[in-house]
Amino acid sequence: MRSHSLVIRGLIGCALICLVVPIQTIAEVSDEDFAKLKSTVEDLSTEVQTLKTTHAEDQATIQKLQQKENKTEETATTAQQEATAATAAATAAAAATPAPAAISTHDFMVVGDAEVQFGQVIHPSQHAAFTLADFAPIFLFRTSDNVLFETGFDVTLSNNAPNSSGYTTNIDLSFATLDYMYNDYLTALLGQILLPLGTYSERGAGWLNKFPDDPLPRQILPENGAGIELRGALPLGDQGQSLTYALFGVNGPSSVDSSSNASQLDLFGNVGTQSNGVQGNLHEHPAGGGRIGWFYPWKPHYDVEVGISGEFGPWDNNENSLWYAAVVDAAVHVSPYVEIKGEYMNTWVQTSDMGTIQPRGWWIQGGYKLAGLNLDVPFVSNLELVARYDTIKDGLLEGMGSGTDRITGGLVYYITNTLWFEGDYEWLHSYGPNALPSQAYILQMSYGF
Amino acid sequence: MPTPDHRNRRNFWLSGSGAALIAGIFFALTHPTHCAGGDGKTEKQADTSTSNTAQTQKLSGQDLYTINCSRCHTERYPREWTPGQWKTLMMHMRVRANIPADQAREILKYMQEESGN
Repeated sequence: MRSHSLVIRGLIGCALICLVVPIQTIAEVSDEDFAKLKSTVEDLSTEVQTLKTTHAEDQATIQKLQQKENKTEETATTAQQEATAATAAATAAAAATPAPAAISTHDFMVVGDAEVQFGQVIHPSQHAAFTLADFAPIFLFRTSDNVLFETGFDVTLSNNAPNSSGYTTNIDLSFATLDYMYNDYLTALLGQILLPLGTYSERGAGWLNKFPDDPLPRQILPENGAGIELRGALPLGDQGQSLTYALFGVNGPSSVDSSSNASQLDLFGNVGTQSNGVQGNLHEHPAGGGRIGWFYPWKPHYDVEVGISGEFGPWDNNENSLWYAAVVDAAVHVSPYVEIKGEYMNTWVQTSDMGTIQPRGWWIQGGYKLAGLNLDVPFVSNLELVARYDTIKDGLLEGMGSGTDRITGGLVYYITNTLWFEGDYEWLHSYGPNALPSQAYILQMSYGF
Repeated sequence: MPTPDHRNRRNFWLSGSGAALIAGIFFALTHPTHCAGGDGKTEKQADTSTSNTAQTQKLSGQDLYTINCSRCHTERYPREWTPGQWKTLMMHMRVRANIPADQAREILKYMQEESGN
Protein backbone atom coordinates (compact mmCIF):
# COMPACT_ATOMS: atom_id res chain seq x y z
CA MET A 1 0.00 0.00 0.00
CA ARG A 2 2.78 2.20 0.88
CA SER A 3 4.63 1.88 -2.52
CA HIS A 4 1.42 2.46 -4.26
CA SER A 5 0.88 5.75 -2.53
CA LEU A 6 4.43 6.84 -3.36
CA VAL A 7 3.77 6.27 -7.00
CA ILE A 8 0.60 8.19 -6.81
CA ARG A 9 2.34 11.03 -5.04
CA GLY A 10 5.10 11.04 -7.74
CA LEU A 11 2.61 11.24 -10.49
CA ILE A 12 0.73 14.06 -8.81
CA GLY A 13 4.02 15.98 -8.34
CA CYS A 14 5.00 15.66 -11.98
CA ALA A 15 1.59 16.81 -13.02
CA LEU A 16 1.89 19.94 -10.85
CA ILE A 17 5.31 20.72 -12.23
CA CYS A 18 4.04 20.42 -15.73
CA LEU A 19 1.25 22.79 -14.90
CA VAL A 20 3.41 25.45 -13.17
CA VAL A 21 6.66 25.65 -15.18
CA PRO A 22 6.33 27.23 -18.68
CA ILE A 23 7.36 25.17 -21.53
CA GLN A 24 10.11 27.67 -22.71
CA THR A 25 11.95 27.83 -19.40
CA ILE A 26 12.07 24.37 -19.48
CA ALA A 27 13.78 24.78 -22.86
CA GLU A 28 17.49 24.37 -22.82
CA VAL A 29 19.95 27.65 -23.39
CA SER A 30 22.87 27.10 -25.67
CA ASP A 31 26.43 28.41 -24.95
CA GLU A 32 26.35 30.56 -28.06
CA ASP A 33 23.20 32.34 -26.92
CA PHE A 34 24.61 32.80 -23.50
CA ALA A 35 27.78 34.33 -24.95
CA LYS A 36 25.74 36.75 -27.07
CA LEU A 37 23.66 37.66 -24.10
CA LYS A 38 26.72 38.25 -22.02
CA SER A 39 28.28 40.43 -24.71
CA THR A 40 25.13 42.47 -24.99
CA VAL A 41 25.01 42.97 -21.24
CA GLU A 42 28.64 44.09 -21.25
CA ASP A 43 28.00 46.57 -24.10
CA LEU A 44 25.04 47.97 -22.25
CA SER A 45 27.10 48.31 -19.14
CA THR A 46 29.82 50.22 -21.07
CA GLU A 47 27.25 52.55 -22.57
CA VAL A 48 25.73 53.21 -19.19
CA GLN A 49 29.16 54.02 -17.83
CA THR A 50 29.86 56.40 -20.76
CA LEU A 51 26.52 58.10 -20.24
CA LYS A 52 27.28 58.48 -16.57
CA THR A 53 30.62 60.16 -17.41
CA THR A 54 29.01 62.46 -19.99
CA HIS A 55 26.30 63.35 -17.54
CA ALA A 56 28.87 64.24 -14.92
CA GLU A 57 30.69 66.50 -17.42
CA ASP A 58 27.42 68.13 -18.43
CA GLN A 59 26.61 68.76 -14.84
CA ALA A 60 30.00 70.48 -14.38
CA THR A 61 29.46 72.61 -17.49
CA ILE A 62 25.99 73.58 -16.38
CA GLN A 63 27.36 74.57 -13.02
CA LYS A 64 30.00 76.78 -14.61
CA LEU A 65 27.43 78.41 -16.88
CA GLN A 66 25.23 79.09 -13.92
CA GLN A 67 28.12 80.73 -12.13
CA LYS A 68 28.85 82.89 -15.19
CA GLU A 69 25.22 83.81 -15.49
CA ASN A 70 25.18 84.86 -11.89
CA LYS A 71 28.22 87.05 -12.42
CA THR A 72 26.74 88.60 -15.57
CA GLU A 73 23.53 89.37 -13.77
CA GLU A 74 25.51 90.89 -10.95
CA THR A 75 27.54 93.07 -13.38
CA ALA A 76 24.42 94.15 -15.22
CA THR A 77 22.78 95.12 -11.98
CA THR A 78 25.80 97.16 -10.93
CA ALA A 79 26.00 98.88 -14.32
CA GLN A 80 22.34 99.71 -14.21
CA GLN A 81 22.70 101.16 -10.76
CA GLU A 82 25.68 103.27 -11.86
CA ALA A 83 23.88 104.44 -14.99
CA THR A 84 20.90 105.43 -12.93
CA ALA A 85 23.14 107.34 -10.54
CA ALA A 86 24.98 109.07 -13.42
CA THR A 87 21.72 110.07 -15.07
CA ALA A 88 20.49 111.49 -11.81
CA ALA A 89 23.74 113.42 -11.35
CA ALA A 90 23.64 114.78 -14.91
CA THR A 91 20.05 115.83 -14.49
CA ALA A 92 20.90 117.57 -11.24
CA ALA A 93 23.89 119.32 -12.86
CA ALA A 94 21.83 120.41 -15.86
CA ALA A 95 19.22 121.79 -13.52
CA ALA A 96 21.87 123.68 -11.54
CA THR A 97 23.80 125.13 -14.56
CA PRO A 98 21.91 126.63 -17.49
CA ALA A 99 23.10 125.52 -20.91
CA PRO A 100 25.38 128.07 -22.62
CA ALA A 101 23.65 130.14 -25.24
CA ALA A 102 24.48 129.22 -28.80
CA ILE A 103 26.55 131.81 -30.64
CA SER A 104 24.73 133.13 -33.65
CA THR A 105 26.32 133.04 -37.07
CA HIS A 106 25.34 136.67 -37.66
CA ASP A 107 25.65 139.57 -35.28
CA PHE A 108 25.17 143.32 -35.40
CA MET A 109 26.34 145.69 -32.75
CA VAL A 110 27.24 149.30 -32.20
CA VAL A 111 30.27 150.52 -30.31
CA GLY A 112 32.08 153.83 -30.45
CA ASP A 113 32.51 156.95 -28.41
CA ALA A 114 31.06 160.36 -27.74
CA GLU A 115 32.65 163.59 -26.56
CA VAL A 116 31.52 166.96 -25.33
CA GLN A 117 34.02 169.81 -25.13
CA PHE A 118 34.11 173.12 -23.35
CA GLY A 119 37.07 175.38 -23.97
CA GLN A 120 38.56 178.72 -24.72
CA VAL A 121 41.37 180.07 -26.77
CA ILE A 122 43.04 182.72 -24.65
CA HIS A 123 42.44 185.77 -26.81
CA PRO A 124 40.79 189.12 -26.01
CA SER A 125 38.05 188.58 -28.59
CA GLN A 126 37.16 185.02 -27.70
CA HIS A 127 35.08 183.65 -24.87
CA ALA A 128 34.74 180.27 -23.31
CA ALA A 129 32.08 178.10 -24.86
CA PHE A 130 30.93 174.58 -25.49
CA THR A 131 32.90 173.92 -28.61
CA LEU A 132 32.21 170.37 -29.65
CA ALA A 133 29.61 167.64 -29.47
CA ASP A 134 30.94 164.58 -31.20
CA PHE A 135 29.10 161.31 -31.67
CA ALA A 136 31.28 158.64 -33.23
CA PRO A 137 29.47 155.31 -33.61
CA ILE A 138 31.09 152.23 -35.08
CA PHE A 139 28.74 149.71 -36.63
CA LEU A 140 29.94 146.12 -36.74
CA PHE A 141 28.18 143.43 -38.71
CA ARG A 142 29.56 139.90 -38.51
CA THR A 143 28.25 137.67 -41.26
CA SER A 144 30.41 134.61 -40.64
CA ASP A 145 33.52 133.46 -38.83
CA ASN A 146 35.76 135.34 -41.22
CA VAL A 147 33.73 138.19 -42.70
CA LEU A 148 33.08 141.45 -40.88
CA PHE A 149 31.74 144.75 -42.12
CA GLU A 150 32.67 147.74 -40.01
CA THR A 151 32.04 151.41 -40.47
CA GLY A 152 32.69 154.45 -38.30
CA PHE A 153 31.24 157.93 -38.40
CA ASP A 154 32.02 161.24 -36.81
CA VAL A 155 28.92 163.34 -36.30
CA THR A 156 29.75 166.89 -35.18
CA LEU A 157 28.26 170.36 -35.13
CA SER A 158 29.63 173.53 -36.67
CA ASN A 159 28.44 177.08 -36.14
CA ASN A 160 27.28 178.83 -39.30
CA ALA A 161 28.08 182.31 -37.91
CA PRO A 162 29.24 184.82 -38.93
CA ASN A 163 28.02 184.27 -42.49
CA SER A 164 24.61 182.82 -41.68
CA SER A 165 22.42 181.64 -38.85
CA GLY A 166 22.00 178.23 -37.39
CA TYR A 167 24.40 175.35 -37.37
CA THR A 168 25.43 172.55 -39.61
CA THR A 169 25.61 168.89 -38.70
CA ASN A 170 28.68 167.30 -40.19
CA ILE A 171 28.77 163.58 -40.80
CA ASP A 172 32.17 162.26 -41.77
CA LEU A 173 32.73 158.69 -42.80
CA SER A 174 35.91 157.79 -40.97
CA PHE A 175 36.09 154.29 -42.34
CA ALA A 176 33.89 151.70 -44.00
CA THR A 177 35.51 148.39 -44.78
CA LEU A 178 34.62 144.85 -45.64
CA ASP A 179 37.10 142.68 -43.75
CA TYR A 180 37.79 139.20 -45.06
CA MET A 181 40.00 137.07 -42.82
CA TYR A 182 41.56 134.74 -45.33
CA ASN A 183 43.64 132.87 -42.77
CA ASP A 184 45.49 133.43 -39.50
CA TYR A 185 48.05 135.65 -41.17
CA LEU A 186 46.18 137.60 -43.80
CA THR A 187 43.13 139.84 -43.66
CA ALA A 188 41.95 141.84 -46.65
CA LEU A 189 40.13 145.14 -46.17
CA LEU A 190 38.25 146.87 -48.95
CA GLY A 191 36.63 150.27 -48.79
CA GLN A 192 37.46 153.46 -46.95
CA ILE A 193 40.48 152.45 -44.88
CA LEU A 194 42.10 154.00 -41.85
CA LEU A 195 45.66 154.32 -43.07
CA PRO A 196 48.37 152.65 -40.98
CA LEU A 197 50.69 155.64 -41.09
CA GLY A 198 51.91 155.41 -37.54
CA THR A 199 49.29 154.12 -35.12
CA TYR A 200 47.37 157.25 -34.20
CA SER A 201 44.67 157.12 -36.88
CA GLU A 202 43.81 153.52 -36.01
CA ARG A 203 44.11 153.74 -32.24
CA GLY A 204 43.57 157.41 -31.52
CA ALA A 205 39.80 157.70 -31.45
CA GLY A 206 38.48 160.38 -29.13
CA TRP A 207 37.76 157.91 -26.38
CA LEU A 208 41.24 156.40 -26.62
CA ASN A 209 43.12 159.69 -26.77
CA LYS A 210 44.08 161.08 -23.39
CA PHE A 211 44.01 164.62 -24.76
CA PRO A 212 40.95 166.41 -26.13
CA ASP A 213 42.70 167.28 -29.38
CA ASP A 214 45.01 165.57 -31.84
CA PRO A 215 48.76 166.05 -32.08
CA LEU A 216 49.43 168.89 -34.49
CA PRO A 217 51.66 167.02 -36.98
CA ARG A 218 48.88 164.55 -37.75
CA GLN A 219 47.61 167.32 -40.05
CA ILE A 220 50.27 166.52 -42.61
CA LEU A 221 49.15 162.90 -43.00
CA PRO A 222 45.94 161.58 -44.54
CA GLU A 223 43.79 159.77 -41.98
CA ASN A 224 42.08 157.46 -44.44
CA GLY A 225 41.90 156.48 -48.07
CA ALA A 226 39.69 154.58 -50.48
CA GLY A 227 41.25 151.34 -51.63
CA ILE A 228 42.40 147.94 -50.44
CA GLU A 229 44.62 146.82 -47.60
CA LEU A 230 46.26 143.51 -46.72
CA ARG A 231 47.32 143.11 -43.12
CA GLY A 232 48.12 140.54 -40.48
CA ALA A 233 50.34 139.53 -37.61
CA LEU A 234 52.84 136.77 -37.00
CA PRO A 235 53.33 135.55 -33.42
CA LEU A 236 56.94 135.50 -32.27
CA GLY A 237 58.10 133.49 -29.29
CA ASP A 238 55.91 132.45 -26.41
CA GLN A 239 55.28 135.66 -24.50
CA GLY A 240 52.88 137.43 -26.83
CA GLN A 241 55.42 139.01 -29.13
CA SER A 242 54.37 139.65 -32.69
CA LEU A 243 55.46 141.07 -35.99
CA THR A 244 52.72 143.01 -37.73
CA TYR A 245 52.42 144.18 -41.31
CA ALA A 246 50.06 146.19 -43.44
CA LEU A 247 50.19 146.89 -47.16
CA PHE A 248 47.71 149.17 -48.86
CA GLY A 249 46.85 150.70 -52.19
CA VAL A 250 44.52 153.72 -52.20
CA ASN A 251 43.61 156.53 -54.55
CA GLY A 252 45.96 158.71 -52.55
CA PRO A 253 46.40 162.44 -52.23
CA SER A 254 45.19 164.63 -55.05
CA SER A 255 45.17 168.20 -56.29
CA VAL A 256 42.28 170.57 -55.71
CA ASP A 257 42.66 172.29 -59.07
CA SER A 258 44.56 169.49 -60.85
CA SER A 259 47.85 171.44 -60.77
CA SER A 260 50.92 170.66 -58.72
CA ASN A 261 51.10 174.03 -57.02
CA ALA A 262 52.00 173.65 -53.37
CA SER A 263 48.80 175.21 -52.09
CA GLN A 264 46.62 172.72 -54.00
CA LEU A 265 47.65 169.53 -52.20
CA ASP A 266 44.54 167.68 -50.98
CA LEU A 267 45.37 164.87 -48.57
CA PHE A 268 41.80 163.96 -47.68
CA GLY A 269 39.83 163.89 -50.94
CA ASN A 270 40.04 161.71 -54.04
CA VAL A 271 37.58 159.04 -53.01
CA GLY A 272 36.71 158.24 -56.59
CA THR A 273 33.61 160.29 -57.33
CA GLN A 274 33.93 164.00 -57.95
CA SER A 275 31.32 166.66 -57.26
CA ASN A 276 30.58 166.81 -61.01
CA GLY A 277 29.71 163.12 -61.06
CA VAL A 278 32.88 162.01 -62.78
CA GLN A 279 34.14 158.73 -61.39
CA GLY A 280 37.73 157.65 -61.26
CA ASN A 281 41.03 158.47 -59.69
CA LEU A 282 42.10 162.04 -60.29
CA HIS A 283 45.45 160.75 -61.46
CA GLU A 284 46.23 157.57 -63.30
CA HIS A 285 48.17 155.66 -60.66
CA PRO A 286 47.09 155.00 -57.09
CA ALA A 287 49.24 155.55 -54.04
CA GLY A 288 50.74 152.68 -52.09
CA GLY A 289 52.27 152.16 -48.71
CA GLY A 290 52.45 150.05 -45.61
CA ARG A 291 53.66 149.59 -42.09
CA ILE A 292 55.81 147.02 -40.31
CA GLY A 293 55.62 146.86 -36.56
CA TRP A 294 57.23 144.85 -33.78
CA PHE A 295 55.46 144.35 -30.49
CA TYR A 296 57.48 143.01 -27.59
CA PRO A 297 55.76 142.50 -24.23
CA TRP A 298 57.88 140.90 -21.54
CA LYS A 299 54.99 140.61 -19.10
CA PRO A 300 51.50 142.06 -18.80
CA HIS A 301 51.59 145.88 -18.69
CA TYR A 302 55.25 145.93 -19.71
CA ASP A 303 55.84 146.24 -23.43
CA VAL A 304 57.50 148.07 -26.28
CA GLU A 305 56.14 148.60 -29.76
CA VAL A 306 57.98 150.20 -32.64
CA GLY A 307 56.87 150.64 -36.21
CA ILE A 308 57.92 152.19 -39.48
CA SER A 309 55.46 153.14 -42.16
CA GLY A 310 55.19 155.14 -45.33
CA GLU A 311 53.18 156.03 -48.39
CA PHE A 312 53.98 157.42 -51.79
CA GLY A 313 52.16 158.26 -54.99
CA PRO A 314 51.43 160.97 -57.53
CA TRP A 315 49.17 163.76 -56.38
CA ASP A 316 48.55 166.11 -59.32
CA ASN A 317 46.33 165.12 -62.22
CA ASN A 318 49.16 164.95 -64.73
CA GLU A 319 51.34 162.93 -62.39
CA ASN A 320 54.16 165.40 -62.64
CA SER A 321 54.69 165.42 -58.88
CA LEU A 322 54.93 162.81 -56.19
CA TRP A 323 54.00 162.84 -52.53
CA TYR A 324 55.94 160.77 -50.01
CA ALA A 325 55.48 160.18 -46.30
CA ALA A 326 57.61 158.34 -43.76
CA VAL A 327 56.55 157.73 -40.16
CA VAL A 328 58.30 156.18 -37.19
CA ASP A 329 56.16 155.32 -34.18
CA ALA A 330 56.96 153.94 -30.75
CA ALA A 331 55.12 153.18 -27.53
CA VAL A 332 56.32 151.96 -24.14
CA HIS A 333 54.39 150.72 -21.11
CA VAL A 334 56.19 150.25 -17.83
CA SER A 335 53.75 148.94 -15.23
CA PRO A 336 50.00 149.58 -15.38
CA TYR A 337 50.64 153.23 -14.54
CA VAL A 338 53.24 154.56 -16.99
CA GLU A 339 52.79 155.06 -20.70
CA ILE A 340 54.98 156.91 -23.20
CA LYS A 341 54.37 157.06 -26.92
CA GLY A 342 55.03 159.23 -29.90
CA GLU A 343 55.52 159.53 -33.64
CA TYR A 344 57.91 161.24 -35.99
CA MET A 345 56.71 162.03 -39.49
CA ASN A 346 58.24 163.61 -42.54
CA THR A 347 56.59 164.18 -45.89
CA TRP A 348 57.99 165.29 -49.23
CA VAL A 349 55.78 167.13 -51.68
CA GLN A 350 57.05 167.78 -55.18
CA THR A 351 55.53 170.99 -56.47
CA SER A 352 55.75 173.02 -59.65
CA ASP A 353 56.10 176.36 -57.89
CA MET A 354 58.16 175.70 -54.76
CA GLY A 355 60.23 172.71 -55.55
CA THR A 356 60.10 169.90 -53.02
CA ILE A 357 58.74 170.99 -49.65
CA GLN A 358 58.88 168.95 -46.48
CA PRO A 359 55.97 169.31 -44.08
CA ARG A 360 57.09 167.48 -40.97
CA GLY A 361 56.71 167.18 -37.24
CA TRP A 362 56.71 164.90 -34.26
CA TRP A 363 54.95 164.42 -30.96
CA ILE A 364 55.56 162.61 -27.74
CA GLN A 365 53.24 162.17 -24.78
CA GLY A 366 53.39 160.51 -21.41
CA GLY A 367 50.95 159.58 -18.73
CA TYR A 368 51.23 158.51 -15.11
CA LYS A 369 48.29 157.05 -13.18
CA LEU A 370 48.40 158.11 -9.57
CA ALA A 371 47.05 154.73 -8.53
CA GLY A 372 50.69 153.73 -8.74
CA LEU A 373 51.35 155.72 -5.56
CA ASN A 374 49.13 153.33 -3.56
CA LEU A 375 47.62 156.19 -1.61
CA ASP A 376 44.28 154.42 -1.28
CA VAL A 377 42.46 157.71 -1.85
CA PRO A 378 39.61 157.21 -4.35
CA PHE A 379 39.79 160.58 -6.07
CA VAL A 380 43.54 160.58 -6.38
CA SER A 381 43.70 156.96 -7.42
CA ASN A 382 41.39 157.69 -10.35
CA LEU A 383 43.61 160.45 -11.72
CA GLU A 384 46.18 160.27 -14.48
CA LEU A 385 48.57 163.10 -15.14
CA VAL A 386 49.44 163.61 -18.80
CA ALA A 387 51.86 165.78 -20.73
CA ARG A 388 52.57 166.19 -24.42
CA TYR A 389 54.99 168.01 -26.67
CA ASP A 390 54.25 168.31 -30.36
CA THR A 391 55.69 170.35 -33.18
CA ILE A 392 54.83 170.94 -36.82
CA LYS A 393 56.44 172.79 -39.69
CA ASP A 394 54.75 173.24 -43.04
CA GLY A 395 58.07 173.09 -44.85
CA LEU A 396 57.72 176.25 -46.86
CA LEU A 397 60.64 178.55 -47.42
CA GLU A 398 61.92 180.82 -44.69
CA GLY A 399 59.63 183.80 -44.28
CA MET A 400 56.72 182.05 -46.01
CA GLY A 401 56.32 179.04 -43.84
CA SER A 402 54.46 178.48 -40.61
CA GLY A 403 55.24 176.32 -37.65
CA THR A 404 54.13 175.64 -34.11
CA ASP A 405 55.66 174.14 -31.02
CA ARG A 406 53.18 173.22 -28.32
CA ILE A 407 53.42 172.03 -24.74
CA THR A 408 50.33 170.54 -23.18
CA GLY A 409 49.73 169.58 -19.58
CA GLY A 410 46.59 167.98 -18.27
CA LEU A 411 44.82 165.27 -16.38
CA VAL A 412 42.35 162.48 -16.91
CA TYR A 413 39.85 161.53 -14.23
CA TYR A 414 38.41 158.06 -14.69
CA ILE A 415 34.82 158.15 -13.45
CA THR A 416 34.30 154.61 -14.73
CA ASN A 417 36.32 152.44 -17.07
CA THR A 418 34.56 154.07 -20.03
CA LEU A 419 33.59 157.55 -18.79
CA TRP A 420 36.43 160.03 -18.45
CA PHE A 421 36.85 163.68 -17.72
CA GLU A 422 39.82 165.27 -19.44
CA GLY A 423 41.25 168.71 -19.03
CA ASP A 424 44.38 170.25 -20.48
CA TYR A 425 46.10 173.59 -20.86
CA GLU A 426 48.20 174.35 -23.91
CA TRP A 427 51.09 176.74 -24.41
CA LEU A 428 51.95 177.40 -28.03
CA HIS A 429 54.88 179.03 -29.76
CA SER A 430 53.70 179.65 -33.29
CA TYR A 431 55.02 181.68 -36.20
CA GLY A 432 54.28 182.48 -39.83
CA PRO A 433 51.15 183.40 -41.74
CA ASN A 434 49.15 180.61 -40.09
CA ALA A 435 50.35 181.20 -36.55
CA LEU A 436 48.08 179.92 -33.77
CA PRO A 437 47.05 181.66 -30.53
CA SER A 438 49.52 181.34 -27.71
CA GLN A 439 47.35 179.65 -25.08
CA ALA A 440 44.19 177.61 -24.81
CA TYR A 441 42.40 175.24 -22.50
CA ILE A 442 39.97 172.45 -23.25
CA LEU A 443 37.73 170.43 -20.96
CA GLN A 444 36.15 167.27 -22.28
CA MET A 445 33.88 164.44 -21.22
CA SER A 446 34.56 161.26 -23.13
CA TYR A 447 32.46 158.15 -23.17
CA GLY A 448 33.36 154.91 -24.86
CA PHE A 449 30.60 152.42 -25.56
CA MET B 1 56.53 167.07 -66.93
CA PRO B 2 58.20 164.54 -64.69
CA THR B 3 61.92 164.35 -64.93
CA PRO B 4 63.66 161.06 -65.76
CA ASP B 5 64.87 161.00 -62.18
CA HIS B 6 61.31 161.20 -60.94
CA ARG B 7 60.22 158.49 -63.32
CA ASN B 8 63.01 156.17 -62.22
CA ARG B 9 62.26 156.77 -58.57
CA ARG B 10 58.57 156.16 -59.10
CA ASN B 11 59.24 152.95 -61.01
CA PHE B 12 61.56 151.82 -58.24
CA TRP B 13 58.92 152.32 -55.58
CA LEU B 14 56.14 150.84 -57.66
CA SER B 15 58.24 147.75 -58.41
CA GLY B 16 59.24 147.39 -54.78
CA SER B 17 55.70 147.63 -53.48
CA GLY B 18 54.46 145.22 -56.11
CA ALA B 19 57.09 142.69 -55.10
CA ALA B 20 56.20 143.10 -51.44
CA LEU B 21 52.52 142.64 -52.20
CA ILE B 22 53.17 139.48 -54.20
CA ALA B 23 55.41 138.13 -51.44
CA GLY B 24 52.70 138.76 -48.86
CA ILE B 25 50.05 137.04 -50.93
CA PHE B 26 52.38 134.08 -51.56
CA PHE B 27 53.05 133.75 -47.85
CA ALA B 28 49.36 133.78 -47.06
CA LEU B 29 48.50 131.25 -49.73
CA THR B 30 51.13 128.81 -48.51
CA HIS B 31 49.66 128.69 -45.00
CA PRO B 32 46.58 126.68 -44.05
CA THR B 33 43.31 128.53 -43.90
CA HIS B 34 41.68 128.94 -40.52
CA CYS B 35 38.44 130.50 -39.61
CA ALA B 36 38.97 133.65 -37.65
CA GLY B 37 35.98 133.86 -35.42
CA GLY B 38 37.15 131.71 -32.56
CA ASP B 39 34.54 128.98 -32.36
CA GLY B 40 35.36 125.57 -30.91
CA LYS B 41 36.31 124.02 -34.20
CA THR B 42 38.69 126.79 -35.02
CA GLU B 43 40.33 126.55 -31.63
CA LYS B 44 41.00 122.87 -32.13
CA GLN B 45 42.51 123.57 -35.49
CA ALA B 46 44.65 126.26 -34.01
CA ASP B 47 45.91 123.94 -31.29
CA THR B 48 47.77 121.87 -33.83
CA SER B 49 48.46 124.42 -36.52
CA THR B 50 52.00 125.54 -35.79
CA SER B 51 54.63 125.26 -33.14
CA ASN B 52 54.40 128.98 -32.64
CA THR B 53 50.73 128.60 -31.85
CA ALA B 54 51.39 125.99 -29.21
CA GLN B 55 54.09 128.11 -27.64
CA THR B 56 51.97 131.22 -27.57
CA GLN B 57 49.20 129.41 -25.74
CA LYS B 58 51.47 129.09 -22.73
CA LEU B 59 50.09 132.50 -21.81
CA SER B 60 46.54 132.43 -20.54
CA GLY B 61 43.74 134.25 -22.27
CA GLN B 62 43.64 136.69 -19.38
CA ASP B 63 47.36 137.44 -19.76
CA LEU B 64 46.99 137.96 -23.49
CA TYR B 65 43.98 140.17 -22.89
CA THR B 66 46.00 142.37 -20.54
CA ILE B 67 49.00 142.44 -22.84
CA ASN B 68 47.15 143.30 -26.02
CA CYS B 69 44.18 145.35 -24.90
CA SER B 70 45.46 147.53 -22.07
CA ARG B 71 48.08 149.17 -24.24
CA CYS B 72 45.37 151.14 -26.04
CA HIS B 73 42.39 151.45 -23.73
CA THR B 74 41.11 150.89 -20.22
CA GLU B 75 39.82 147.52 -19.18
CA ARG B 76 36.54 146.30 -20.65
CA TYR B 77 34.87 143.76 -18.43
CA PRO B 78 33.80 140.38 -19.83
CA ARG B 79 30.27 140.80 -18.56
CA GLU B 80 29.74 143.94 -20.65
CA TRP B 81 28.89 141.86 -23.72
CA THR B 82 27.45 138.48 -24.64
CA PRO B 83 29.63 135.68 -26.07
CA GLY B 84 28.32 136.41 -29.55
CA GLN B 85 29.09 140.10 -29.21
CA TRP B 86 32.56 139.33 -27.93
CA LYS B 87 33.13 137.28 -31.05
CA THR B 88 32.19 140.25 -33.21
CA LEU B 89 34.27 142.63 -31.13
CA MET B 90 37.33 140.41 -31.22
CA MET B 91 37.14 140.21 -35.01
CA HIS B 92 37.08 144.01 -35.04
CA MET B 93 39.96 144.31 -32.59
CA ARG B 94 42.03 141.63 -34.26
CA VAL B 95 41.94 143.69 -37.46
CA ARG B 96 42.27 147.09 -35.86
CA ALA B 97 45.12 146.27 -33.49
CA ASN B 98 46.73 143.59 -35.65
CA ILE B 99 46.50 140.95 -32.92
CA PRO B 100 47.82 137.51 -33.95
CA ALA B 101 44.92 135.17 -34.68
CA ASP B 102 45.80 132.53 -32.11
CA GLN B 103 46.14 135.18 -29.39
CA ALA B 104 42.83 136.70 -30.44
CA ARG B 105 41.18 133.30 -30.08
CA GLU B 106 42.60 132.83 -26.59
CA ILE B 107 41.39 136.27 -25.56
CA LEU B 108 37.97 135.56 -27.05
CA LYS B 109 37.76 132.27 -25.21
CA TYR B 110 38.58 134.01 -21.94
CA MET B 111 36.06 136.80 -22.48
CA GLN B 112 33.31 134.39 -23.47
CA GLU B 113 33.93 132.14 -20.52
CA GLU B 114 33.88 135.04 -18.12
CA SER B 115 30.94 136.77 -19.73
CA GLY B 116 28.46 134.81 -17.61
CA ASN B 117 25.92 134.63 -20.41
